[in-house]
Amino acid sequence: MTTRIAAGYLPGLPAESLAWESRTFRARGQAIEVALPRPTPEQLILLAAKVRKAAQENLAVMPVMDVVDAIDRCIARMLDAADPARQEMDRLLSIVTGFDAEMTRLGINAILKTFRRPQLLRFLAEDFGDPGLLDDFRPRPKGGWTRAYGPKLLGHVWAGNVPGLPLWSLVSGLLVKAGSLGKLASDEPLFAGWFARVLAEVEPRLADTLAIAWWPGGDAQRERTLAQQSEVLTVYGGDATLAAWRAHAPVGTRLLEHGHKLSAGLVSAAALDARQSLIAARLAATDMLRWDQQGCYSAQIFYVERGARVSPREFARQLAGELSARQYQFTRRDLSLEEAQSIAAWRQAVAMQAARGADVELLGSSADPWALAYLESALPLPPSALNRTACVLAVDSLDDAAASLSAQAAYLQTVGLMASPEELFRLAPLLGQAGATRLCALGSMTMPESGWHHDGRFSLLDLVRMVDIDMSAEQAAQGLADYRD
Amino acid sequence: MNKPDIAAPGLAPDILRDLLDFMDRPGGGEDAFNELALRLFFHQFQHNHAFQRYCRQLGKTPRTARHWRDIPAVPIDGFKDLTLSCVPPERCERVFMTSGTTRSDIKGRHYHPHLQVYDRSMAMHFAQRFMRGEARMRMGILFPSEDMMPNSSLAHYLALALHGFGAPGSGYFIDENGMDVDALIATLSQAERDGEPYALLGASYSFVHLMDALSARNLTFRLPPGSRLLDTGGFKGQSREIPMQAFYRQLHAAFGVRADDCINMYGMTELSTQFYDNGNAVHPPVKSGPHWIRTRLVDPVTGSDMPAGERGILAHCDLANFNSVTTILTEDAGIAADGGFLLLGRAQGAQAKGCSMAMDAFLKAAQA
Repeated sequence: MTTRIAAGYLPGLPAESLAWESRTFRARGQAIEVALPRPTPEQLILLAAKVRKAAQENLAVMPVMDVVDAIDRCIARMLDAADPARQEMDRLLSIVTGFDAEMTRLGINAILKTFRRPQLLRFLAEDFGDPGLLDDFRPRPKGGWTRAYGPKLLGHVWAGNVPGLPLWSLVSGLLVKAGSLGKLASDEPLFAGWFARVLAEVEPRLADTLAIAWWPGGDAQRERTLAQQSEVLTVYGGDATLAAWRAHAPVGTRLLEHGHKLSAGLVSAAALDARQSLIAARLAATDMLRWDQQGCYSAQIFYVERGARVSPREFARQLAGELSARQYQFTRRDLSLEEAQSIAAWRQAVAMQAARGADVELLGSSADPWALAYLESALPLPPSALNRTACVLAVDSLDDAAASLSAQAAYLQTVGLMASPEELFRLAPLLGQAGATRLCALGSMTMPESGWHHDGRFSLLDLVRMVDIDMSAEQAAQGLADYRD
Repeated sequence: MNKPDIAAPGLAPDILRDLLDFMDRPGGGEDAFNELALRLFFHQFQHNHAFQRYCRQLGKTPRTARHWRDIPAVPIDGFKDLTLSCVPPERCERVFMTSGTTRSDIKGRHYHPHLQVYDRSMAMHFAQRFMRGEARMRMGILFPSEDMMPNSSLAHYLALALHGFGAPGSGYFIDENGMDVDALIATLSQAERDGEPYALLGASYSFVHLMDALSARNLTFRLPPGSRLLDTGGFKGQSREIPMQAFYRQLHAAFGVRADDCINMYGMTELSTQFYDNGNAVHPPVKSGPHWIRTRLVDPVTGSDMPAGERGILAHCDLANFNSVTTILTEDAGIAADGGFLLLGRAQGAQAKGCSMAMDAFLKAAQA
């Protein structure tokens, strides 16, 4: 039986006034049909006006701590395993994305947990020190006063690679009291609408401050409309998508881009004794398995240091063993023909290197839902074809890894490390210099902490406009006071 | 058509003779195809060491192959990375090279000890699918000549068409200076006046350039009934990409040739046989080849056949590829259709869904 569900969240627009497009998702023998709302450019302008007005009237005047409480109550509802809506969403998201059901459930929990009250407060403190800046002018140590204003309308363009992704920008928008108008990804059109509906239920005053629509990516007319309506625009997507939005955004619209990224795991010789290496392999496998490497933070290549009891080649075998053993715990998504072709091309490229005499070993048969290429030295090979494929590259020292990664500086994001404290702090500046924006423990690559500097940027500060009252204004005003001397 | 010389180098005379006989025999037959494919596999496995290594890596040898479907399909990248030739390249009369898309610095090479089989394959099938019974007709070629592009299989193909099937008055309209639009206009106007069917053949993008030039001069033609067009190659990587359906509508508007008489040829440098459709009135049209080439739709990772009705990657077993490898794995997606397959375009690798960098992006970054 096919489940039918409507995506999006369009306050003030009756369903019958909208054009709907249907998209069917299938996974593991189940199918769901999602109706996607495709407003006209005129309707988008109406939505933007409604959201802007509601945000000014209801959200802008709400103390930021009340906003935090509202989000916290919303997230608590979404985390409630007994809530039938949550259970249904687990099922639907797992079909829509194709991800393993248990992986989806755990992954959604992990994301939601980063947005509870304590984490939200940390999130605010990270960027503002004093979150009261969002409510009122606050005194500055140097003199004068400052207040932070969120945009009246924050535009969002989401990607569909990992469910829950819209939460980062939606929550950020709420915290800076911005109205939000988002464009759903065709590949994961459910999560954002779910959040908006629950939020409206737990805090009706915020019901009209969000709107979530859809159209096929590349629709220039609608994309230009969203770009023109937005004061700040957050876009997730590949190079071509980013370039298109850049062309749409008028002067004065602040564009925040999150593009394709490359992330890597580094395993030090210190972690390659008989016991530790198995742990390292397990953690490395986790960073490949979670979301089947669809995240910007997913490990695509591992650099493994020579010189320990366990050689890099043995480590690659141990990693292969982990991937093989855990394919039953978390089954891989069914791949599209294009994804399969990508893996085939990658495997072929590895096989061709081997046929030409390079010291490279392909681990994993064509029937396995994973593959590793073990390389004794660097080769002109793509690090990964995603969906549980990666290179394991032997290096004499992890310093070489930093040097090698710096060639991809513009794309580099997360580096997962398994190394001694001395190595961590010796490598950190090298990796920072190489372009990395986040160093974390191996095994934690896919779980960024709340308040992280995503792609090296500020989640909240990048959204706001700071308004200063200079000391001169204050002093000049003193001269006009009734009680002046 | 010259009678092939079965003593030509590169293949045991008995296989070559049987191959030519098979091509001549209408329909061919499944068993005979199978037998020839396996004989060629054995021959190529023995004499082509790169191919042998590749087969061994996959654990597939002639000993275990019972059916042409068991022959390992070599990815077209293999033509870039390996020397796939039974006869040493320096003893080959001709090498065709790919133009390359993603790895443009490295060209795929297809070695031909001689072109007797290639030419015969081309001519027999072209006569049937494009000439449709006509012995010769006047032709205009919208592509450079073989002299200009000696390593282009398409230049050779079009030369064969011109010399084997062109009536007096046929010729090239592209030379070192580009397309001779004035000469084309004069020729097409003449054809209109004569009422004699005319054929234009060339790369798809040449037609686009021609149509742009004609519309800049506000010119359209109504070529006489029986006229036909042959385009090939599509638009990947060209400066202007237009949807194929719109392309054939524009062809009709520009030349007055019915969509049924606009034929698209699907060929590859890595093959020695071409596929055609029977016109482009419906989209996408069914493509099919002659009886000496067979096509499977496979899962690109496992190489196994896709379930009936599902999209797969095209793998072709071309008996005319006697010197390289009979069976190649393309990067083109297709789906089975009555009498052939529908070509669904290049499977571009994973469509990157979000912020995880996919391979194509990486390759672009690596080249930057």
